[in-house]
Amino acid sequence: MTQTAIEFRSVVKRYGTATAVAGIDLSIVKGELVTFLGPSGCGKTTSLRLIAGLELPSAGQVFIAGRDVSRDPASARNVGMVFQSYALFPHVSVLENVAYGPVIRGTPKAEAQARAREILEQVGLAGLEARLPAELSGGQQQRVAVARAIVQQPDVILFDEPLSNVDAKLRRKVREEIRSLQRRFGLTAVYVTHDQEEALAVSDRIVVMEKGRIAQVGTPSELYEHPASPFIADFIGDANLIQGRVVQGQFTAPGMAFPVSGPDGPATLSIRPERITLSPGGPDRVLTATYLGSRMEYSVATERGEMLVSRPIFEPRLTAGQEVSLHITPADASRVA
Amino acid sequence: MKALWEGRIGLIWSGLLLAAVLALPWYKGGATLASALAEGVAGRVWLLPLVGAALALALLALLSRDWRIHPAGAALVGAGLGWLLLQGFGIGLRGPALPGLGLLFPTALEGQPGFGWGAWLAGIALIGALAEVLAARGFCRGERFAAFAIIGIVSALSLFVFFPIVKLMSAAFVGPDGTLALTPFLTRITASDLWSLGCLTGSGRCGVVINSLVLGILSAALATALGLALALLVARTDFRMKRLLRAISILPIITPPFVVGVAILVLFGRTGLVTVEVAEWFGVRPTRWIYGLPGILLAQVLAFAPVTFLVLLAALEAINPTLEEASTTLGAKPVTTFRTVTWPLLRPALAAAFLLAFIESLADFGNPIVLGGSYDVLSTKIFFAVVGAQYDLGQAATLSVLLLTLTIAAFWVQTRWLGRGSYVTVTGKSDAGLVAPVPGLIKWAAVAAVVPFVLFTVGIYAIVLMGGFVKDIARMDMAPTFGHLWTAFSFEFNERGIQLFGSAWNSMITTLWVSALSAPLTMAVGILTAWLIARQDFTGKRAFEFGTLLSFAIPGTVVGVSYIAAFNVPPIDITGTMAILVICFVFRNLPVGMRAGIAALAQIDRSMEEASQTMGAGGGRVLRDVVLPLIRPAIFTALVYSFVTAMTAVSAVIFLVSARHNMATAYIMGRVENGEYALAIAYSTVLMLVMVACVAAMNGLVGKRKLGRRSTVTGTPHPAE
Amino acid sequence: MTKRFALIGATALALMPIGAFAQPKELVLYCSVNEEWCRAQSEAFMRETGINVLMTRKSSGETYAQIKAEEGQPRGDVWWGGTGDPHLQAAQEGLTEEYQSPMLSELQPWATAQAETSGYKTVGIYAGALGFGYNSTLVTENPPACWADLLDERYAEDIQVANPNSSGTAYTMLATMVQLMGEDEAFAYLAKLHANINQYTKSGSAPIRAAATGESAIGIVFMHDAVAETVSGAPIVTVAPCEGTGYEVGSMSLIKGGPNPEAAKMWYDWALSAAAQEIGATAKSYQVPSNTSASTPPEAPKLADIKLIDYDFAKYGSSDTRAALLSRWDAEIGALPK
Repeated sequence: MTQTAIEFRSVVKRYGTATAVAGIDLSIVKGELVTFLGPSGCGKTTSLRLIAGLELPSAGQVFIAGRDVSRDPASARNVGMVFQSYALFPHVSVLENVAYGPVIRGTPKAEAQARAREILEQVGLAGLEARLPAELSGGQQQRVAVARAIVQQPDVILFDEPLSNVDAKLRRKVREEIRSLQRRFGLTAVYVTHDQEEALAVSDRIVVMEKGRIAQVGTPSELYEHPASPFIADFIGDANLIQGRVVQGQFTAPGMAFPVSGPDGPATLSIRPERITLSPGGPDRVLTATYLGSRMEYSVATERGEMLVSRPIFEPRLTAGQEVSLHITPADASRVA
Repeated sequence: MKALWEGRIGLIWSGLLLAAVLALPWYKGGATLASALAEGVAGRVWLLPLVGAALALALLALLSRDWRIHPAGAALVGAGLGWLLLQGFGIGLRGPALPGLGLLFPTALEGQPGFGWGAWLAGIALIGALAEVLAARGFCRGERFAAFAIIGIVSALSLFVFFPIVKLMSAAFVGPDGTLALTPFLTRITASDLWSLGCLTGSGRCGVVINSLVLGILSAALATALGLALALLVARTDFRMKRLLRAISILPIITPPFVVGVAILVLFGRTGLVTVEVAEWFGVRPTRWIYGLPGILLAQVLAFAPVTFLVLLAALEAINPTLEEASTTLGAKPVTTFRTVTWPLLRPALAAAFLLAFIESLADFGNPIVLGGSYDVLSTKIFFAVVGAQYDLGQAATLSVLLLTLTIAAFWVQTRWLGRGSYVTVTGKSDAGLVAPVPGLIKWAAVAAVVPFVLFTVGIYAIVLMGGFVKDIARMDMAPTFGHLWTAFSFEFNERGIQLFGSAWNSMITTLWVSALSAPLTMAVGILTAWLIARQDFTGKRAFEFGTLLSFAIPGTVVGVSYIAAFNVPPIDITGTMAILVICFVFRNLPVGMRAGIAALAQIDRSMEEASQTMGAGGGRVLRDVVLPLIRPAIFTALVYSFVTAMTAVSAVIFLVSARHNMATAYIMGRVENGEYALAIAYSTVLMLVMVACVAAMNGLVGKRKLGRRSTVTGTPHPAE
Repeated sequence: MTKRFALIGATALALMPIGAFAQPKELVLYCSVNEEWCRAQSEAFMRETGINVLMTRKSSGETYAQIKAEEGQPRGDVWWGGTGDPHLQAAQEGLTEEYQSPMLSELQPWATAQAETSGYKTVGIYAGALGFGYNSTLVTENPPACWADLLDERYAEDIQVANPNSSGTAYTMLATMVQLMGEDEAFAYLAKLHANINQYTKSGSAPIRAAATGESAIGIVFMHDAVAETVSGAPIVTVAPCEGTGYEVGSMSLIKGGPNPEAAKMWYDWALSAAAQEIGATAKSYQVPSNTSASTPPEAPKLADIKLIDYDFAKYGSSDTRAALLSRWDAEIGALPK
């Protein structure tokens, strides 16, 4: 049976007249890694801070491990948090940084430090305990921050854009580390990012947020393949949004017609650029052809407007100005509105 | 488990409250067991509701699961606090101030003394309980420590900043019989001895307001000009005395008041060294030219130039040299560059420096009283209205309202000026490019202004250093002696142990006590306030900030008068105690610690504190483990500054000293007034030495642990004297 | 946790009225004679009794104002010294305590008269005549000998006198002039004199100090203050005005409801003793002591040689007369252009 680790019930957070979180209901299951994804100002960080207790909800309730913590300050909750800037204490050693939490919560100093050593070893930092944070590399600092967050076996570990201070090259490695640590320790984790690729890579489930509300919740593949709205289709990956009408289960737009589900009326279809195939000759015309190393990207002028097409590098390359036809399989189109 | 832990904290407040009403003397000077309960049973029945509330709260805390969220808890705390204040202010020393209370409690006609230990502690306990109640309802994100800090500081500010000012206003507007009396106020405020322009038309004296304004404008203009000359020489030339100039700029901060005035008299008085020489040279009779505007002006310019210097130096150093370089590469001559680039960029800083000096001049008390002669200004007039034989609090209050209005207006203009996009170009990377040298003409003008200033300052301080240790510097009797020092600080070992006979001991000991008590408190409250403002979001934060700024802008004389008006009668009857001196300093110097703290906190990533919180640290622990270690330099600045100010401030304390608790500056003022210059100077020298020694000791104690480049040297503003 | 409460405790402590804990064996003395004498007198009392004297020196006018301001909660025990008028006024307003010291029998008649006038709420401790002193290096020819001489144009901006609002000395001068010339004439005289006054000081003896250092040429003060400057080596010549002059009976009162009444009475009795009254001379204060067996310092101006007016202490010490004269002074003299 799955256990609920975190639950939001109609949570609202207002700052004066501005509403940061406009009523969220959400359950997070024990042991999963859930990502809050969205553009800046969508309320994802606020939601994370509501779990941490760094903000208290204006209305609604937050449950952690089955307990209503809506009025509890951060210090009274059992959460671990990894901050964007790591927020390591610059004036004390790595060991003291990690042992800080247990000491605060009343563990005798020697025991706390023993536990801190153990965790540091597990994250691969053995031997660096006596250093000051400033004497570590960025990646090492990150691992200290994670060690510090998990040392107290928190009910949930929170990551606030943890990769934004990491070199672009290291990101993949660090996010894999985070993911494997989370799996190894069986941690419930909530992860905030505005980078959709990062979200797709690390998450069990993704919560896409827009203007303080949840736009869609699902696994990475669900979101990518079946976006629930044009916003999500556009935000996660690239998408061609085609507007048309549905009459008796048949979607029609200039130059195309195929069966879709759902009610009749105006409709929007989302088609991923890599799902479209091209063949030379036809009604449409390549506007630009961009070489991206791993693939080719074409912008194609059609009757329905400009469309983005992405093709593997090994296919015959087209050039700008060439006349082409587009081929779309009905199964690759999802109706988003 | 958790509820129990939380509940225990709440119990401490209600326990404290119980102790306050059951065991401690409720009234000031009361006997040990004359608690609220005992007094209530003995006839002061209006105290019984408080006892009842305390008992009910304790019962609730023990019985309910969490009294803090229980509606009855909130009601009891609110009612208790309300009643504590109502009965305290409602029933005075001589009977009820609110007639209704007299009807309700016939025994109230006999009145009641001021708050004692019990009442104070009850107030603190109720404030603590109120913070718990609010925190439990989500105030301050549920942080109990932060909630307590905010409620506590707001209460303290209301009591020790707003309440006295309100009392002062009412003293200005309300007649002795307690009714609103606008006519006396209007008569006073329009009196010709305030506004007369007689000295300009030649038909009499000028009013004090006119005098104050003339002095303020002249003094600020000259001090700004001199400050600019100093700043240009230090920042933009290879002038050789740079280090000396910087050193001189610190002197006024540690110089006790009056002593510069006295030194000026010794040099320029009618029998002064310079006056006599010059008079002989020209064969004219020496005159008392220094008394009045010229003397005050001289002393003020000497005192304020270092302040304007620091402001302008910061602005000059912030100007991106590439702007000036650009102008030069476009073919502009140095004078043109200065006129078209440097000068316009400096203008806001000049305005700020001018207003700062203007405010200080308005508030200055020490110089006018020594050098003023018949030239009255607002601050001295206020002093004589209260301290002189006429003892007219209404008059003093009216003048104070006037002075306060002028100061706040200037202060407001200044903040507006600085708040609105100043053009100072701080880009963080101004190391590219060399500073434009100042055009020759301007440089020589600056040198011409600065050299006399330096000579002057050296001369003045030479007098100060020598004056205390020669027989009579005023009469140029230069026989060396320690007699003055002995008069002030004589002592003897005899059968009663060590007995201190010197007349200055009392004031010296009090001064040290007051400074030593107020400096850490000022620092603590200031840093805590800074932390609240920088890190907490709460309703009324803007009003809170304004309150702290207000205590900064109020001239010392006004603070002194308002404290007399507010704290001479129950319930808060603390005039004549050491506490009033300490409190006065804590709230006057609070903005210094606060500003240093805010500047330091701005450099520290907030998430470190949040990290500490998520690991289980409450607000107090966060402050101790994370914030304080990281802002050590700011703590040191605040500590030193409040210590030094407490030792040298005069304008507010002159009203608050008493026979038992006299302060060094008040003592020195008495000596100056009586013409005992040598004694005054000797004492001032001792005071300066003590300050230097204490600052050095504090330096050792707090230590300067540098964190990378984070050693903040903040230009500290100081409260209007 | 303990530390947090230690902090709160410390704050609470700091907020507490520290003065609530009165230490025994203390005396709060408001002293209105010269600082030096105040110091010597306090020190002698401390040596004799071991009681710690907390002394504030303020002019008699200021002290009167302070005692009045503190009426609700007196903070001082004894008011010692200063001209008799404000003492009488305080007695009249019930600010001071009635006390008949066993030492009264040893006093001069003018001192006991002061006690009787006030209903034993104050007593005379010394006497001194009003006069003036001039700096002989500044005033070399034809020195002034009379009040009228002070109006001479030669002394423009060269005379100092205290402000009668704050100084008992200056009030004595005001009252003396009124008794000597009649009220309107007195104010006319003062208005003319105003042209020669360079500053109305707060403290009564400050003018002679200014004359001694040459900051001013003439100071109108009690003669014994002028003598004190001469004795300390200043070129001051003391003048007893030819028209006659008023005098003060320096007084002492017990403040009603003061915190240390026992110590206050000890001081009171002691201060009337011959030995205590001879201390003044050692501190350059040459007033005539009120104890008949106390020796008069040789430097003291001899009252017998001075033309003294019959000063009406009862009238000019009363609140009404005082208030009337002071407000007229404020309006007619204080407001004049300078």
